[in-house]
Amino acid sequence: MLKGLRLGEIGRRDVLRAGLIGLGGGIAGFGVGPVHEASASAPAGVGSRILVVVELSGANDGLNTIVPYTNDAYYRARPKLGVRPEKLRRLDDEFGVQSGMAGFERLFKDGQLAIVHGVGYDNPSFSHFTSMAYWQTGAPNSGDPYGWLGRLADTLDPSGGDNYIVDVEARQSLAVRARVHVPLTFFQPDRFKRDATYEEESALDRLAAPRTARNSAEAFLYDVAASAQRAEVHVREACAAYRTPIDYGLVRFGLERVAALIAAGFPTRIYYVSYPHNAFDTHVNQADTHARLLTYTSDHIAAFLGDMARIGRGPDVAVMVFSEFGRRVAENANLGTDHGTAGPSFIAGQAVRGGHYGAMPDLTALDDGNMRFTTEFRRVYATMAATWMGCQDPAPVLKGEFEPLPVFQA
Amino acid sequence: MTDGWEEDLLPIGASEWTPGRARHLLDRAGFGGTPKEVARLAAMSPEAAVGWFIDFGAIDNSHLPPFDPSGIYDPSLTPFPATRPAATRLAAETGAAMGVAAKPSGPRRLQPVADRFFFWIRASMLETRRVANWWADRMVATNRPLQEKLALFWHGHFASSEEKVRDYRKMLGQVLLFQQYAAGNFGALLSAVTRDPAMLIFLDAGQNVKGRPNENFGRELMELFTMGVGHYSEQDIREAARAFTGWRDKDLSFHIDAAQHDGGEKTVLGHTGPLDGQDVLDIILAQPATAGFIAGKLYRFLVRDDLSSQFQDRLGDLLRSNNYEIAPFLRTVFLSRDFYSPASIGAHIKGPVELIVSTYRRLGLTATPGMPDFNSSSTDLGQALLNPPTVAGWSQGRAWITPGSLLQRGNFARAVLLPDVIAFTDPNLDPYPPQLRTFSAHIRAGEDITKASNLVDGSEAKQTEGAGMATANLLSEHEEFNTHYASLKGWEEAVRRVKPTPRGAAQFSLTNLVLEGGARSSTEAVDCLIACFLSTPLDSAARDAAVAFLEGELGTADLDRAKTYLEEPLRLTAHVIMSTPEYQLA
Repeated sequence: MLKGLRLGEIGRRDVLRAGLIGLGGGIAGFGVGPVHEASASAPAGVGSRILVVVELSGANDGLNTIVPYTNDAYYRARPKLGVRPEKLRRLDDEFGVQSGMAGFERLFKDGQLAIVHGVGYDNPSFSHFTSMAYWQTGAPNSGDPYGWLGRLADTLDPSGGDNYIVDVEARQSLAVRARVHVPLTFFQPDRFKRDATYEEESALDRLAAPRTARNSAEAFLYDVAASAQRAEVHVREACAAYRTPIDYGLVRFGLERVAALIAAGFPTRIYYVSYPHNAFDTHVNQADTHARLLTYTSDHIAAFLGDMARIGRGPDVAVMVFSEFGRRVAENANLGTDHGTAGPSFIAGQAVRGGHYGAMPDLTALDDGNMRFTTEFRRVYATMAATWMGCQDPAPVLKGEFEPLPVFQA
Repeated sequence: MTDGWEEDLLPIGASEWTPGRARHLLDRAGFGGTPKEVARLAAMSPEAAVGWFIDFGAIDNSHLPPFDPSGIYDPSLTPFPATRPAATRLAAETGAAMGVAAKPSGPRRLQPVADRFFFWIRASMLETRRVANWWADRMVATNRPLQEKLALFWHGHFASSEEKVRDYRKMLGQVLLFQQYAAGNFGALLSAVTRDPAMLIFLDAGQNVKGRPNENFGRELMELFTMGVGHYSEQDIREAARAFTGWRDKDLSFHIDAAQHDGGEKTVLGHTGPLDGQDVLDIILAQPATAGFIAGKLYRFLVRDDLSSQFQDRLGDLLRSNNYEIAPFLRTVFLSRDFYSPASIGAHIKGPVELIVSTYRRLGLTATPGMPDFNSSSTDLGQALLNPPTVAGWSQGRAWITPGSLLQRGNFARAVLLPDVIAFTDPNLDPYPPQLRTFSAHIRAGEDITKASNLVDGSEAKQTEGAGMATANLLSEHEEFNTHYASLKGWEEAVRRVKPTPRGAAQFSLTNLVLEGGARSSTEAVDCLIACFLSTPLDSAARDAAVAFLEGELGTADLDRAKTYLEEPLRLTAHVIMSTPEYQLA
């Protein structure tokens, strides 16, 4: 249904024009008209909706992110690391966020931030790599070769159209690995470029064309080479042309690049960005570090959503934020926290019905010092896949039946 | 003839030894090489060729110089404060830190201390780039390629990052350790690495104390270094962490802080007693899972990604029956029919450092060129040596390749073959962080420090704008010192004192390569380049496209008529060939 807008089929001049229109800002619906038209048959414009997934790698300390400041058990477990009530931005009479998270506070008070409490899964793994693989595949203990977003793309668009998934990372995430789709993965758009002289161009094109592969590694390389050839110019020009007055914060981990592609009319429906390098793994002296990480994250996400509203795509974009697990309830001896279990996830955007979802785990009924999860993580995925993205049959995507949370109007 | 060779560990016969298989061995046990090196190995027996790689201890390598330090370290830098706030707090409380005193009076009393902190952080970062460059040089110039290949493997396996360790000396020490134990005994290497100062710092061993064990060390030891997930419980991790309490780095050496060691009874993997760290290592080494995990990982790195669990078990048995000695294990692997089976040939995606080093070795270079910069190239391609992304090191194989990195690999080839000598600048002179360039310009133009800081932060302009301001920029500025200024002064001193890296372009002649290969036509020249650079050939359509391109550049198919101007067209053609998917494979 999006055939008309495949980037592979629009000329590079069109992309550039869309990007340049973006310079003016505030022109609602520019460059996306065709999307709305093309998706007129889908329910309520679902076909133009975009899912942006933000990964906080390293296991974010959820208790110090959404702080239960009226809960004595929290302060008992964290005599040094517990954030005092007077230092918080209070969301309501139960929870607050750290002082640097003005962006999240604003989103929450505007009713655009859903906080999903106690997200986790049964028999938790305390390994970053294992737990992240569980989250990314959406299939714990299965060793599934594809990611949940890859399977979602394969289900929503079985034809495998160009650039349906964009992964703004130096390395492709397992979450986006698909059977049919080749995710467009890049990190630095100005480096997403083939350096060549004019004379070399046609020879390089001919040698990049797919040929009969002798093994699976070669087949994989041919696919990636073809993807690179199709997307190279478009990504670079879209990012270079994009101008915005919005401040994306001190650590711009990718959403400003997502904004550039959306503004340029990319056909992409699934974006993936990561706060990389296990940054949230705060075993030692975590207070200042964690406060900074949260500030950067909150600034960046709030800026992105503000930017989407500015260019008229606010209603079409939803951001989902997760981390592979939370941290132990009690602080450790080094003013840090060790690997734990459940934690909050977030869903943000204009279409979101803000508020609290799921139940805050009981801090007085712990399992060996860890919270018992209250919300299976694939309910968050079901919310995004079925309700938001309009996937009619999410069971194969999520490898089971999971009830969506009422975060969006159905 | 090769039917059924897959997973067959019997050795290949002398009659089955071919130049193609010699090249495969050179690609995998080393970093590839020139046609001459392939011919030399092909002329040996398979046992002798494999032996040349594995028995490297006997081969003279004295032409390789040790690392040449810049002399940036002095003992006042030990112990180094954990953070900048810790450094300035120490100076505020005691009057000095890192051998530098606070000013007795006046504004920004702690400025010299903050400067000193940034000096060492930046100097160690720059010196670490020199260590990486030195190591790359060894990979390119060594007569013992398997030693460096395995050192690279162990660096990814026992990953530590200078970004956290913050001391190039400890990172260098770790590289030397990996070189020393490269093909030695895994148990001995494990014992040495768990006592290695860089590793102890990287895994927060200093925080692992009696009564409050830090699980980080125990977890990574079992999950990443030895057994892999699924072979131990959370309880095993906690108990193991207790056994390692008190293990500390003491500058460049190891010691056990007896007062912090928990000597009580522990149970790890079913063994109970007053276990210490070495006891736990011995228990772990006795687990079949450990041998299978290490053997399988080595096999994936050196042979191929796809590995059945039954075959991994057999490889594990092989490693354990050799008492964890890596050399005899690899001798069997490199001589096996499996290693030369079609499933193994041309199926390995080269990692970034491997790609770079193999490019230089295939070109016959004897040193890493300064242009392009080794660290910039490897970082762009996703493998910054001595700065792995996480404690799990780098994911290998397909994880290296994205559309972006594939284009970058072609760009790297171009930067070697046809360096942009006009645009090239020394990346070690690019200020870190980049905002220093603007800040420095304001300071040198006579702006006061606070004003210059505000200009760089953009806080003045943005505060008047009011909206869209990132919270981070509103965080208060410190009064006892200026962080921007400290960062600038630290960077300046670091650049002044760290020895420069030579910046020559690579010296090689594709003209000689092609003519010595006997090529007389454009087709033969392309075949020569393909044979030199690709481990698996191009199909005929792709080869014809390369020939047509070269012929167009030469203006003739006859090399003799073009012999006075061959080099540039050959380099352009080599760039086209090195940009192919095939060039990523070995």
